[in-house]
Amino acid sequence: MNPSVRPSSLPALPPVPGVFVQFGRSLAADALKLRRTAALWLTLASGVLPVLLNFCILYFKGHLMLKPGADGWIKYTSMSWQTAAVLLPLFVVLLTSLVVGVENKAEGWKHLFALPVGRLPVWLSKLLIILGLNALAQLLFVALLLAGGYLLQALRPELHLQQFAPPLRVLGLLLGRTYLATLGIVGVQYVLSKWQQGFVLPVAVGMAGWVAGLTLLRWEHVGWIPYAGPMLTLLSTPFKPVPGMALPTIAPHEWYQLLWFGVSAGLGYVTLRWRNLA
Amino acid sequence: MHTVPLVETTNLSFQFGERAVLHGLGLEVPAGSIYGFLGPNGAGKSTTLRLLLGLLRPGGGTVRLFGHELARHRVALLSRVGALIENPSLYDHLTGHENVEATRRLRGLPAARTAAVLAQVGLSASAHRPVKGYSLGMKQRLGLALALLPDPDLLILDEPTNGLDPAGISDLRLLLRQLREEHGKTILLSSHLIGEVEKVATHVGVIQQGRLVFQGSLAALQARQQTQAELVLETACAATCRSLLPALAAAQVVAAGTLRVPFQSREHTAALASALVAAGQPVFSLHCEQPTLEDTFLHLTETATAQ
Repeated sequence: MNPSVRPSSLPALPPVPGVFVQFGRSLAADALKLRRTAALWLTLASGVLPVLLNFCILYFKGHLMLKPGADGWIKYTSMSWQTAAVLLPLFVVLLTSLVVGVENKAEGWKHLFALPVGRLPVWLSKLLIILGLNALAQLLFVALLLAGGYLLQALRPELHLQQFAPPLRVLGLLLGRTYLATLGIVGVQYVLSKWQQGFVLPVAVGMAGWVAGLTLLRWEHVGWIPYAGPMLTLLSTPFKPVPGMALPTIAPHEWYQLLWFGVSAGLGYVTLRWRNLA
Repeated sequence: MHTVPLVETTNLSFQFGERAVLHGLGLEVPAGSIYGFLGPNGAGKSTTLRLLLGLLRPGGGTVRLFGHELARHRVALLSRVGALIENPSLYDHLTGHENVEATRRLRGLPAARTAAVLAQVGLSASAHRPVKGYSLGMKQRLGLALALLPDPDLLILDEPTNGLDPAGISDLRLLLRQLREEHGKTILLSSHLIGEVEKVATHVGVIQQGRLVFQGSLAALQARQQTQAELVLETACAATCRSLLPALAAAQVVAAGTLRVPFQSREHTAALASALVAAGQPVFSLHCEQPTLEDTFLHLTETATAQ
């Protein structure tokens, strides 16, 4: 058959839903896929460990650690945040691999891309799910932290937490900036998890990055290592006001994180857009 | 009146790295047909189907669905297509219902479709069990439910009987026939088993080493099978018979007393028997052997391999 000769009237094409509609549908499907997943449980439970550990330390040893008149809230929240900042990169690495792993394990990509939905909505919706779970985990951590502090105050009045107010402003600022400081990890790990179907390599790379970030904290260029982000944010945010030191709204390493995130997510999409999928 | 094939590829080629997988494929799937896409493992069937769904980018040539170019209208065209490619993509931690529901949400279809397709493939009773407890056949049926979800005009099924037991295969055949005859659907299904395809297909395409070696109606394939029929003659001495009769010059001596002659017609067979008797040769047996469709399929694929 001569391909250049086409009948004058071809069947009309069905209308294509807009990108935002496709994105909404993709998001609704991805949210459903989270049911009973390790990613969801990890999100809900991840904040417990740093809070519980530091709650126990202060509950049992607080009387030895707090000097008379010292602000117990600051001690408790800064210790907990330190534990969290150490663990957070690892959490983000695991979370990203687990969310993408749901699709990898089901060999779901070929099914997704054979559906009437663009590649951009699919790519973005999963990214948004990871960003949402990351935000939820950090919010839950702060909520647990405050709840633990009030519980400590009630159970151990001799620590005098009731004489001080929780450092809400610092916690709020830390929360926002720490979230920013994890975005580079999300971007890099998302791309790695998508293009490396197994679970092992992305997690291994993430762990190597995590170790490198912690080990090279004193290096002048450590800000470029995404995995060092949460710890750098904590180090640049004093819990107690330091005379002459203004709290930065966004520190340089957090801008680098945004850059990492944008470049990784963008390159990941471009690769997805042009690459064969099976 | 000329009707546009529902699926049409023109000079379609594809290669994985340096290895060419498809060479100038010209597939034409007529509307309203069940098109059996046959070929041995590794012939390029799955690659072709992936190209038809836009999962792979062609190295050359074009893919048209419903007369429109896939590369330009992928999303619009895929809304009229349901597909099951190799193993169904299923989320083990979700129930069967939730699996279908995830795809329904993505396609933006009415909520009632989920229960409807689960009933259509006979999975209503198991719909709320996690898929990790499903048998292979149940998973395959769930994959089929996902493909049927949009009530598609074109159904693309890659080896759909994988994992199905004989009853399941029979049910699937019935379902495919119903979809075509009662709902006017077009179905393109791949298989490496001719026996499976001939029971349900109206049209057949045979691919071997990335080249289409046959394409046409099932009747045309059956006609080709008839042209390959042979007469088997049992006599006292096959070599003597062949040297005595010019009509047996093309015959093949397969045993001391057995000759095989290409079948031409009933009249030719009768004339041959008379000539043998007239020449004083005994005819112990003379019968026509027709290759099965499977033999024809194997012949097609083997010939292509030899070339």
